[in-house]
Parts: sequence; C-alpha cells; structure tokens
Amino acid sequence: MKNTTSAFTRRRFLQGSAAGAGILAAPAIISSKALASSGELNFVGWAGYPLFTEKVFATFEGATGIKVNFKELPDQDTMFGEAKVAMEAGGIDLIEPTIDRVGAWDSNGLLGAFDESKLAMDNYLPGLADGAAGVRSRPGGVLKYVPSVWGTESLVVNTAEAKLSTPPSLGDLFSPDNSATLRPHSALAAMGRWLDATGQLPRPWMDGYTDMGAMVELWDIALAKAVEMKGNVVQWWSGENEANAGFTANGATIGLVWDSTGFNLRNDGYAYIAPVEGAIAWHQGFVITKNAANVDEAHEFVKWVSSPEGAALWATAFSANPVGKGASDFMDPEVSAFYNGTFNDEALSKLWWWPDQSAEFLAKRAEYADKYKAA
Amino acid sequence: MQDMLRRYGFGLTLAMCLLVTFWLVVLVIVPNITLFEQSFRPYLPVVEIGGPRDTYSFANYLKVFDGNVDKSLFGISFSIPVHVYTFGLTIFYSMLVTLICFAMAYPLAYYMAKIVNPRSLPTLILLLFIPLWVSEVLRAFAWWIILAFKGPLNALLMGLGLIEDPIRWTNMGYTGVVVGLIYTYVLFMLFPIYNGVQSLDTNQIEAAEDLGAPWWKIHWRIVLPHSKPGIASGSVMVFMLSAGSLLVPSILGSTTSQWFTQTIDQWFKDALDWNTASAYAFLLLLLCTVFVSVAMWLFKVKLSDIAK
Repeated sequence: MKNTTSAFTRRRFLQGSAAGAGILAAPAIISSKALASSGELNFVGWAGYPLFTEKVFATFEGATGIKVNFKELPDQDTMFGEAKVAMEAGGIDLIEPTIDRVGAWDSNGLLGAFDESKLAMDNYLPGLADGAAGVRSRPGGVLKYVPSVWGTESLVVNTAEAKLSTPPSLGDLFSPDNSATLRPHSALAAMGRWLDATGQLPRPWMDGYTDMGAMVELWDIALAKAVEMKGNVVQWWSGENEANAGFTANGATIGLVWDSTGFNLRNDGYAYIAPVEGAIAWHQGFVITKNAANVDEAHEFVKWVSSPEGAALWATAFSANPVGKGASDFMDPEVSAFYNGTFNDEALSKLWWWPDQSAEFLAKRAEYADKYKAA
Repeated sequence: MQDMLRRYGFGLTLAMCLLVTFWLVVLVIVPNITLFEQSFRPYLPVVEIGGPRDTYSFANYLKVFDGNVDKSLFGISFSIPVHVYTFGLTIFYSMLVTLICFAMAYPLAYYMAKIVNPRSLPTLILLLFIPLWVSEVLRAFAWWIILAFKGPLNALLMGLGLIEDPIRWTNMGYTGVVVGLIYTYVLFMLFPIYNGVQSLDTNQIEAAEDLGAPWWKIHWRIVLPHSKPGIASGSVMVFMLSAGSLLVPSILGSTTSQWFTQTIDQWFKDALDWNTASAYAFLLLLLCTVFVSVAMWLFKVKLSDIAK
C-alpha cells in the first residue's frame, strides 16, 4: 500500500501546485485565449504514435492556421477519465475514442453534438459514417461521432510453427497444438463467435450485446469453454508491447492481436491473416465534449481528417486504414500492401465490427475477464 | 512545542506547523476521505450524480462476494467468489514473499552486523544499495527479460545441458510475481533487521559461546529475541508493499496469476467503475491492516517496539 499512497500524494502535490500556479497566472491565460480565439484546438488522442507531433498537426496548421494542443493518453479508459474531469474543469474540445464506446460516453453525458453542415459527410468511404455505423454515430438522433481511422484485430501466426485448420479459424487460438497470446475480454468474444459459427450456442452471440440476460447465458458458456482450453495461453497482452513480446520473447505461435502488431512482425516470420469467421474490426473517431470551447476549430479539424490527404496522414500515423475517399493514393505503399495481403474483398465483407457495449456490459465483461484470468 | 518555539522562533515554527498541516490535510486526508466517500456511492452517469439514485450503501463493498468460481484444494472442491479467491491468494503469496525475504535477509544482516570486518562494511552496504537506485519498473522488467521463454535463463540452462526444453518461467502460477516481489522488497527487510542485530552487545554472544551454547541456540535465545522489533517492522513493510504492489504483478504475472491490486485496477480501467474500485481499495487497506495487527499480536510485538 505504501508505495501507491506515496505516488498518489506526489501526483496530488504536482496537480495542486500546478493548479496554484494556474490561479496565479489565470489573468494572463484568459487574456491570451481572448486574443487568440481564432487558432486553437485542445485535442486528446492516443499516445505512442510519433507521426502526429512530427508531421500531422504541423500539416493541419499549415493548411488552416489552427494550432492543435495535443494531449497523448495510452488508452481510452484514461481518456474517459480525463473527459469526466473536463466536465468540471474544461480544457478539452475533441477526443478520439472507438465507436463501440460512444454509447457509454453519451449515457455518461459527456458528449456534445456535431453540426453536419460544417462537415463534409460525403468524404467518407461507404459503411463508415453511413448505414449501421451512421446509426450508431447518432445516439438520440444527432451526430455525436465521426470516424477518423479504422483497423482490425485478427490472427497473427508464426508461419513455420502454428498449426492452422483450413481455412484458418478463431478456433485455432484455443487449439492445444498452438501457444497463444490473448487479451482476456477479446479472447472470450472470439470464443463466443467461434462457438456461434460452429453451432454450439443456444442463441446468436450478438444477442448478448443488447440483452444482459442473454449476455450472462452466452458468456457463461464461452467462459467455461475458454477455461477448459486455457492451457495453451502463454501470455496475456493489454498493449502493443506485451503483444509483440508474447511472440518474440515468449514464443507464442498464434495470437489475436491488433493489426499494428502484425505489421511490426511482418518481416520476422509472422503473418497476419483473417479467420473464416471474419476478423474483428474497430473504428475510432472524434467526439466533441459537451463544454467544448473551440467548436468551429473542432469542426474544421474533423473535416480535414476526412479529406484525402488528412485521412491518409491519420491512417499512416496509426499504421491502419483511412476513412476518406481517395486517401489510398496518399498512403504509404508498404502499409497498403500489408493490408491487401490480409484482406481480399471476401475478407473485407466478413469484417465483424465491435458492437456497442454499455457501461453495465463493460462491468460484467470485466467480471468474466477476471474469472478467466483467475482460473 | 515550547522547545520548538525557543529553538526556532515564532515565524519558523509557524511555517513548519503550517507546512505539516498542509501536507497532511491536503495531500493525505482530503484525497483519502474523497475516495472513501466515493466508495459508498453507486457508479452513475455524470448527469445522474446528485440525483435520486445517488444514495449511500455498502453495495460496492458487497460486490466482492459476486461471481463464484469452482476451485479445488487438496482434493476438496468448493465454490468461492472470484475476488475473495484472488484476495486470499494475494495475502498468501505476500506472506510467502515476507517469509523468503526474512530467510534471505536474516543471515546477511547478522553477517553485516557481527562478522564482517567493519572497514569493508560501507562497500557492502553500497553494493546492496545500488539495485535500490534503479527504478522499480526497470527491476521488474529486467526479471521479465531474464525469465522469458526465449530469455537468458533458459539459454544458460540449456547451454549447460541442465534442461533439454526451455521452461516457461513466467507462466508458472505466481512464480514470476514472487521472484519479482522478493527482488524488489528484500532490502526493506534487510536494513531493519541489520539495525536490530547491530544494537546487540557482542559480549552476550561471546558469553553464550563460552558457556557452550550451540550456534542455533544462540540465535534462537539471544539474537532473534533481541532483533524482534526489527524483524517485525521489516515484515510489516515487505508484506504491505507486496500486497499493495501493482507494478510487479502486472509485469511478471502469468496467465493464471491475479493480484488483488490488478482487480482494483481493472475496476478503474476496464469497467470504468471508480466507485467500486475505491471500495475495493479500502477493503485491501482495511483487511491488510487487520491482518498485520493480528500477526503482531500473535508474535507479541507492540507498535511502540517498532517505533524504537
């Protein structure tokens, strides 16, 4: 306990002194904001992608004259925390969570609405901002989310050692012939989808995302099966580093990991492949906070990221896929080649987008992850 | 107080008192009370905070009894709430870490205090201190590298021909966590014991030897009782630090290990439920304090002994 307490107080001290300095400097800060009302945007995004500060924001500033104050955070749970604090303290305009969290963010009352007339909704590739995704972007009928980049979570396999079924399946993750690196909650979802595809579930796996009763019924089955087959899991991962080390240092031969891990390992004897059930896909995008101060700048920024050049830069920074039409001409050819090697048209049509997960669902999901880990 | 006033004058004494008050109130008491108050309230959307559903209850604390898992121990099967199970294992392995730390630290402390040439003592202490200067993250991560499947330990053992196939050290239950915690916290055991043994008059040991006591009896009847407060404060520190460590179990944990702090962390970050997380944090603090108090009562150590 001791070490955590002291770290906590140290941080509180820093925050306290920063707040104190802030109060002393408040007149200066307020007046400088008042003078420069035309050119700032406070953006909270993902840490670990250096291209943003090196190139992306500078290009945007060059195009529009708007300066981006970038705050990097490691995961969206931390972003959620910051957003909650910003409801009281202000200072955040735009945040970049994934679409499956928008429901939870919105039900927490954190989000403001976008003005569609200030954006260019025609810029987006089909399926990302319209159709089912469009409905999910409009909780309560108003636009609260617009996409910025999309990517996948699929199988990385050691081409020499992994034993795959033909065609490769999510079930290979749980085969005793393979050593796997997984993250608990994704693994349970993969197990559920595999059981669903092989007809071992009493009702569709998707029911669990809308009905908590069904969720418990289905996740109990998936958990029992996953625990039974846990022996071949050699490492849990929760971020890029651990996933990578699961393969390179701990000898996993298969894993359900992000595309970026597959991209980073592509020249080391590993391949990124889509299972027959369809790869898991995510897309993330921008939400505007309810108390955003720089609303026009935020719209300008979001619109720029949907343009061919902006979308391509954004996707290149994440080593993932662009959301804007015409962006593929601007992409790094190596990243494009990597994606096209994994996803042909059939694999693309089978993509399984993470469904919405409510706050209640997330709490229950964490309990299942706990049980899986403790087994 | 009078003494302080006389020694430092009014202004300086006031400044010191105000600083200490500020430290305690703003940095210790207020944050903890905030967390404590939060732990009794339900996790609600921001818009509903302060609304009719925002009432005090023990619901967050009782969540520790949710979600049973089936386990078996010594052939007896039983069903136990998953978080209670995790908590039990956390306490058990923290005790194990404390015991092993004691077994490692006691001989070394005795050697440093009574046997080694006093002139080489500073060098020895320096050598022991150097690892403590390295960040805890790096030390845990260094062990992660050493124990990795394709890491140096396996390479060494295979090179020596001791094993034929590499061993998954980081995936053997709590092995990695225990190794990491011992390495991180053993010095917190060593130095209190060293202080305790050092204050023992060497003549007593010599007298016991002259009267024909075997070596183990000298330790059992003279050195150990004398250094009991040191052992107690070392054990309390190692135990509390281990049970409260998040970093080492996160880095060195296997696919079957789960530390209670990781459960708290999961409530904060995975479930986004800060209220339940606060409740769990207080449960950990409270139960560990109770546990340590009971252990001290059993071993007949008083708090005032440790303070000496």
